[in-house]
Amino acid sequence: MIEKFLIKLGSLDRRIIFIIIALSVCIPLLYPDLVKLPVIPKKDTVKVFQEIENLKERDKVIVSFEYGPSTMPEIHPMAIAILRHLFSKDILVYGFALWPDGNFMSTDAFSEVASEMGKKYDEDYVNLGFKPGGEAVIKGIASDIRTMYTVDLLGNEIKDLQLMQEIKNIENFDYVISLSAGDPGSKQWVQYATDPKKIPFTTGCTSIQVTDIIPYVENNQIRGILAGMPGAAEYENLVYSKYNQYNFKGEATGMMSAQSIAHLMIVIFIVFGNITYFLNRKRGTK
Amino acid sequence: MISPFELFTAWLIVFLTLCIFSYLYDDNPFYKAAEHLYVGVSAGYVVVTSFWQQVQPNMLGRLWPKLENISELGVFYKIWYFIYEILNFLTTFFGILERSIFPKGGIAGYDEISFIYLIPFVLGIFMLMRLIPNLSWLARWPIAYIVGMAAGLRFYGYLNSDILIQIQSAVIDFSQSSFDIFNSILVLIGTLTGLIYFFFSTEHKGSIGFLSKIGIYFLMIKFGASFGFAVMGRISLLIGRIKELNKYSSSEYFYSTPILMFIIVIILFIWSLRKTKEIENV
Repeated sequence: MIEKFLIKLGSLDRRIIFIIIALSVCIPLLYPDLVKLPVIPKKDTVKVFQEIENLKERDKVIVSFEYGPSTMPEIHPMAIAILRHLFSKDILVYGFALWPDGNFMSTDAFSEVASEMGKKYDEDYVNLGFKPGGEAVIKGIASDIRTMYTVDLLGNEIKDLQLMQEIKNIENFDYVISLSAGDPGSKQWVQYATDPKKIPFTTGCTSIQVTDIIPYVENNQIRGILAGMPGAAEYENLVYSKYNQYNFKGEATGMMSAQSIAHLMIVIFIVFGNITYFLNRKRGTK
Repeated sequence: MISPFELFTAWLIVFLTLCIFSYLYDDNPFYKAAEHLYVGVSAGYVVVTSFWQQVQPNMLGRLWPKLENISELGVFYKIWYFIYEILNFLTTFFGILERSIFPKGGIAGYDEISFIYLIPFVLGIFMLMRLIPNLSWLARWPIAYIVGMAAGLRFYGYLNSDILIQIQSAVIDFSQSSFDIFNSILVLIGTLTGLIYFFFSTEHKGSIGFLSKIGIYFLMIKFGASFGFAVMGRISLLIGRIKELNKYSSSEYFYSTPILMFIIVIILFIWSLRKTKEIENV
């Protein structure tokens, strides 16, 4: 009886599975008070937070936007939280983009955070925008930024920007942060800029990239990692609990319950799928 | 109060999201339209951004920079900037359109002319020759340059960051805590057995076979972790879309999500019935 039921469960129409997954995501999002799960920061997230905490006022930091709208739910909350953290410490931020869509993302993130924290363009941050070329652009930033960038994203000439006066190449920066959803991204920053020039570097990346990036993190070539949406939620909690005077609200934290419930459902499906597979195989061999 | 443009954008976002989601039911015209639109818009956006962010300021800007003492320069430079004016004449459709690619007096950003940039300029034109079958062979030169340059550029990066530094870190530091030493030993075993699995010069039998089997287990753990992270990433994206659909379902946006969802479901239902009938007739 149970065996028959399990076998029937295994041949469930995929569209029913889609509906169940959709519901497991929708219900926690629509009724956030129904499911509340704790977000506990992991070692690598704490390291990223600590690294930025160790930076001094008016230090210069590169924030590179290597993601687009398709990966926005994972990376954009990180971008917002990182910018809030950096601006809370009065750190100078230099925005770059290695992906064309990165221009939209950086513009959106800078305008949101700068307006809420009263930060001004060319006094607290600049946004140099996208240049095509991937690793060649990183190489250019590492050797001489002006060979790549003559104007910023707004069309201002680099030589006229106050924050760019003392900047020649990556060696004039104190830290590099990459918000990456693929190639070119964190890996290329390590290979062409931060490893050769020995500049401290950290990353926030999509979940799918984590297993490729972890070897660099274990080696301290990348100092900590914000891994996907959970990484963003953990980092938000760390930043917003320390700098609570601004009353920031974490976007990723609100989505974590939906993520956890959906994962639970997928695990249940995988377990049932395997049981059905073994039962079918057993029947076939009989 | 939401502006009409914002409202239109919201409805478009919802419509395209639902079009893509409709693939979960079946491959259908809504999905195909949204997919083609995405490919076209992405390609167009990349071309335009690349031109205005790289080709115009960094290549044309180096060949024809805006110089202060342009009137004092010799005949050669005057001819050079005359070519610039011809290019401007052509790109503005014989002076009909406003000048944009070639602004008056040169492109701002650089202080001197770099004729070396004629090489990428010519190679770029050669690349476009792929569109003309008789001259498509010219595209091999820029491709050869790109391949050579990329190989050379990547060689050092990979060698340093992915091989040398990774090998260094495989060394076990016995001054660490016992847990870290255990972790380092595990990494070393994983690295060595993983490499043995990819060593094909000897048959995987006996001790080599045993070690390569351990290597497979390490690889499987890696693939499992990758799969888990991939699922996590995809669910995050789904959450992002659903959050947006929920946002636009409010009265502020004139209930765009439920209205469009209803319309799409009805049309898909009719489409599916017609498709079934067509199959039956065949």
